Amino acid sequence: MDESTNETAGMGLARRRRTRRALLAGVAAVAAGGTAAGVTVLARSGGQEAGAPGSTAGQRGDLPTAAPTPDPNRPIDDPLARAAHLLRRAGWGGSLPEIEAFAQLGRDEAVDRLLEFGAVDNASLDARIAKEAFNLTTPGRGLDGKRPPLIRDMQRWWLTRMAYTARPLEERMTYIWHGLLTSQVSQVGIQAAKQMVRQNELFRAHALGRYDDLLQAVSKDPAMMLYLNTIESTQAHPNENYARELMELFSMGEGNYTEEDVRESARAFTGWRLTRPARERPPEGLSERERDEWLNQMWAAWEPEFQLQPRLHDAGTKTFLGRTGNFGGEDIVRIIMEQPATGRFITRRLFSELAYRNPDEETVDRLVDVWDASGHSVREVVRAILLSDEFWSMRAYRSLVRSPVEFAVGAVRALGIETNWLTIEQSGAGMDQRLFEPPSVAGWPGGETWLSSGTFFGRVNFLDAFLFPRGRPIAIPALEGQTTVQGMVDAALNALVDGNVAEASREALYAHAGTVPAGPERAATVAYLVLASPEYQLI
Amino acid sequence: MLSRRDFVKGGVALVSIGTTAQSLLKGAVAFAAQNGSAVANPASKKALVLVQLAGGNDGLNTLVPASDPAYRSARPALGIAEDAVLPLSEGFGLNPALTGMKGLWDAGKLAVVRGVGYPGQNYSHFKSMAIWQAGDPKMELDNGWLGRTLEKLESEEHDPFLGFNVGASTPEEMRTPKVAVPSVRSPEDYGVKVNGRLADPGHARTATMLKLYEQYPAASPYGALLETTVETAMSSSRLLQEVDRAYAPAVEYPDSSFGSGLSLLAEAIVGDLGMRVGHITLGGFDTHNNQATEHTSLMETLDAGLTAFYQDLVAHGKADDVLVLTWSEFGRRVAENANGGTDHGAGSVLFALGNGVRGGLYGDAPNLAALVDDGNVPYTTDFRRVYATVIDGWLGVPHEELLGQRWDQLGFIAA
Repeated sequence: MDESTNETAGMGLARRRRTRRALLAGVAAVAAGGTAAGVTVLARSGGQEAGAPGSTAGQRGDLPTAAPTPDPNRPIDDPLARAAHLLRRAGWGGSLPEIEAFAQLGRDEAVDRLLEFGAVDNASLDARIAKEAFNLTTPGRGLDGKRPPLIRDMQRWWLTRMAYTARPLEERMTYIWHGLLTSQVSQVGIQAAKQMVRQNELFRAHALGRYDDLLQAVSKDPAMMLYLNTIESTQAHPNENYARELMELFSMGEGNYTEEDVRESARAFTGWRLTRPARERPPEGLSERERDEWLNQMWAAWEPEFQLQPRLHDAGTKTFLGRTGNFGGEDIVRIIMEQPATGRFITRRLFSELAYRNPDEETVDRLVDVWDASGHSVREVVRAILLSDEFWSMRAYRSLVRSPVEFAVGAVRALGIETNWLTIEQSGAGMDQRLFEPPSVAGWPGGETWLSSGTFFGRVNFLDAFLFPRGRPIAIPALEGQTTVQGMVDAALNALVDGNVAEASREALYAHAGTVPAGPERAATVAYLVLASPEYQLI
Repeated sequence: MLSRRDFVKGGVALVSIGTTAQSLLKGAVAFAAQNGSAVANPASKKALVLVQLAGGNDGLNTLVPASDPAYRSARPALGIAEDAVLPLSEGFGLNPALTGMKGLWDAGKLAVVRGVGYPGQNYSHFKSMAIWQAGDPKMELDNGWLGRTLEKLESEEHDPFLGFNVGASTPEEMRTPKVAVPSVRSPEDYGVKVNGRLADPGHARTATMLKLYEQYPAASPYGALLETTVETAMSSSRLLQEVDRAYAPAVEYPDSSFGSGLSLLAEAIVGDLGMRVGHITLGGFDTHNNQATEHTSLMETLDAGLTAFYQDLVAHGKADDVLVLTWSEFGRRVAENANGGTDHGAGSVLFALGNGVRGGLYGDAPNLAALVDDGNVPYTTDFRRVYATVIDGWLGVPHEELLGQRWDQLGFIAA
C-alpha cells in the first residue's frame, strides 16, 4: 500500500473547493493587513521575549515573498524551528527552554546529545515510575478487586516513560520498533499480556543496536512467538505465519521472496517453543475466585524461556533464497540479514519514520552504504538520517501527521503538564491508537490515515477532557507566568508550533483569549486551541 | 423548493464572502428545522453498502461444497457435514450459522459469487487487501475503487454523507482527495464537546478553533486534507445529530459493534442523508487456529447483523434502495492445518443481497481437484466483474474508466 505524501494530498482539490479556498485566502489576506496568508514561512515572535508585552507576531522578518513553488529542498531556516523539528522527530517534542538550548548547538552536537543517551541519567523517570507502582504483571482485579487493570497500566507506564524520560530517542526507537515488529496484546492474550512489556523492554534494549541482534531476539521473543503462532508450528504442519511476516514486514518487503521461500523457511521455525509455567493446575479446594486469582498469579510469575523441541522440529534440508542446507530459524534470519533487500527496506523505513515518507532512491543508497559499512548498525543509520540535509529540509518540516501518542505526549512535554495518564485511557479512544494494540501485524498505517472526521473529534474531545476534567482547567506550567493575552498566546505558539502560524490565526487566538478570564481558565483555553490547530496535527 | 444541497451551497457562498464555517452549519440546521426533517430527497437513492470481512474469509466454509469428495478429504476436522449445511443448489450449501442469509436466498434476494479472485493471487493480507481496495491487481490506478466512484457521484452536488464509513479512519477503497468521507463510530461522540458534552458548533471556543482551520493555507502541508476533514466533520456531525434524534430502529440489532455499526448505516439511509456508498468492517477472519469455533461465531455475527439490517430497511421502506456487498482479501487454503485452522488462500466467495438483487449462484464453481499454488482454490471470476456489476448495474456509473477496462457484468442486479 503506497502511502500518499502530503504533496499528492494537495493535488486533487475539487474545483469548487479551490474556488472557495481562494476566496477564503483573499478574505484572510485582507484581515491580515494585506499579508498573503498562503506563504508558509518560519516566522516567530522572538524566542526569549515571547512573553514580553507587545511582542506580537507582526514582525515576520525576512520572508521570502510569495514564491509560487518554493524549493522543498531548501533548509529550514529558523534556528528554533530547526531545534524543535529535531526534538519532535528524534523524541517527543521539547519545552521552549529545551528547544532554545538545542538551538544553541551545532548539528552534530545536537544529534549526538540525543543519540548518545546511554550515559544520560534517567533517575527522575525511574523515581516517578516507582511511585506510580503500575501493575505490569498480573491480570485480573485481585481478590479485593482493587488491582489496577493490567493493560491500562501498561499503556500508562509507557506513556509516562515517553512524557518524562530524559532519553527521548530511546523511547522513540522503542515506539518505532513496536510499530514495525508488531505484536497485539489482544492476540497474545490477556493472561500473557506482561510478555508485551518484556517485548517492549527488548525493543528498548536494542533501540540502536545491530538489526541482526534485534531480529534474532524478536524471533524468540515470547509475545512474538505467541502472536504469530510460532509455538504451534510442527514438522508435520509448519505454520507459515511468522516466516511470512518476518520477510514481508520485518526485513525484506514483499516481492523479494517466493511462496516457496515462505514454506521452506516455515519448516526451519518448527519446534520452536516456550517453557511452560512451573505449575499450571491450581490446588484443590479453592473457591472459584481463589482459583482465578491463583491462575492470575501463575501467569504473572511465568517467565518463559525459548527452547527447541527436536521432536517437533523439521531437521531436513531446506532451500531458501537460493541456498540449500539443514537450516534452523537462526540460519533463516542470518540469510535474510545478508540480503540487500533487507538493508534497503529497513533504512527506508527508518528514514520514513524520522524524516519524510517516500525518500528517493539516492537517499536510500547513501543510507544502505552506512548500513553495510557499520555492520547493520541502527545507531549509525539513525545518525546518518538525523545529520542529512534531507532531514533538515522543508520537505521534512511538518511532513508527517502526528499520531495520537505523539499528539498527547508532545502536549505534555511542551507544556510541562503533570499527568498520570488516566484521562487518555478514559477519553482518548476516539483518536484511534492504543499502545500494545496496533490494528494488525503491519502496525499503524499512519500518515493520512490518522486524520478522519471521526478522529478529528476524537482529538479535540480528548483535549476537552484532558485540559478541563469535570469542567475545571488543569495547570499548564509553561503558560502560568504569562500575564498578558498576547504573551500567553505567543508562548503557546512558540512551544507547540514553532510560532509558525498564519497571522490571522494568531489574531484570532488573541481575540478569543482576551474574552476568557485570566488565570488557569485562559491558559487551558489557549492550550486547547493551539493543540487543536491544524499546525499542531503535523510534526 | 430549495433543496438542502442548494441551502448548503448557499452557506458556502456566505463563507466565501467572509463569514465563518458556522454560517454553513447554521444554514444546514436552519434548513432542517424549517423542513421538519434533515434533508430533501436526493436525486438517486440507490446505495451500496460494502462489508469488509477482514483477515481472509474461508469461502469453503461459507458456501460449502458439502458433497465434493475433495472438500471432505481436505477438511477431516473442519469440514461441515453435508446434512448440516443449509442447502442451496448444485450441491452447495450455506454455513449452518447463516440462517438469515438462507431466508434471503429462499426469497430470491441473495446472490453468491463463487471463485472470486484475480490473476497472480497475492497471499499477503496487506497486498491483497490493497489490490481489492484499489480495484487493480497492477496497482496502477489512483486511489480506491469507491473513491473513484464517489468522484463521479459527487459532481456538482456535495452531500457530506455521499460516502459514509462506520469506523475510525477512512478505508482505502473510499480514499480520494476529492471527496471527504465521514467516519463515525458512535454518534454520541461525533461532534465537538465542551466540558464533556456535545456543544453547539457556534460555541465561542469551537468557532475560534474553526477559524484556525480556515486560515491554514491550502498550499501548506496537508492543507487540503485538513480543510476537507474538518469541514466534513462539522457539517456531517450536525446532520447526524439531527437524524439520530429522529431515527428508531424497527428491529433489535445484535449487541455487537458490527450490529451497532449497521444500525448507524441504516440511520443514515432512513434519515435520507444522501448516502450512496457505505462501508463497514467485520474483522477476525484470519483463522490460522481454532477455526471451528471462531469462524462459526463470525458467521453468526455476520448473519445476525445483515439480517437485522435488511429487516430494518424493509420496515422503513428502504430495502429496494440498498445493496449489500461483502468482500474479503482472499479465501483460505483448502487443506486444514495442524492447529485446527487454515492458512492464507486464494479464490473465495462473496455475497450480494437486497431487494435489488437477482438471487442465485454466480461465477463457475472452482474445481477442487485442480488446485493452484500448492493447494489453493483457483479463481474463476475476476473480482472486477463484481465491481463492474455494482458500479454500472446498481449505482449507474459507467465502469470502464473507473476500472481501467471493460468487464462483463455478472447479472445479479435485478432488472
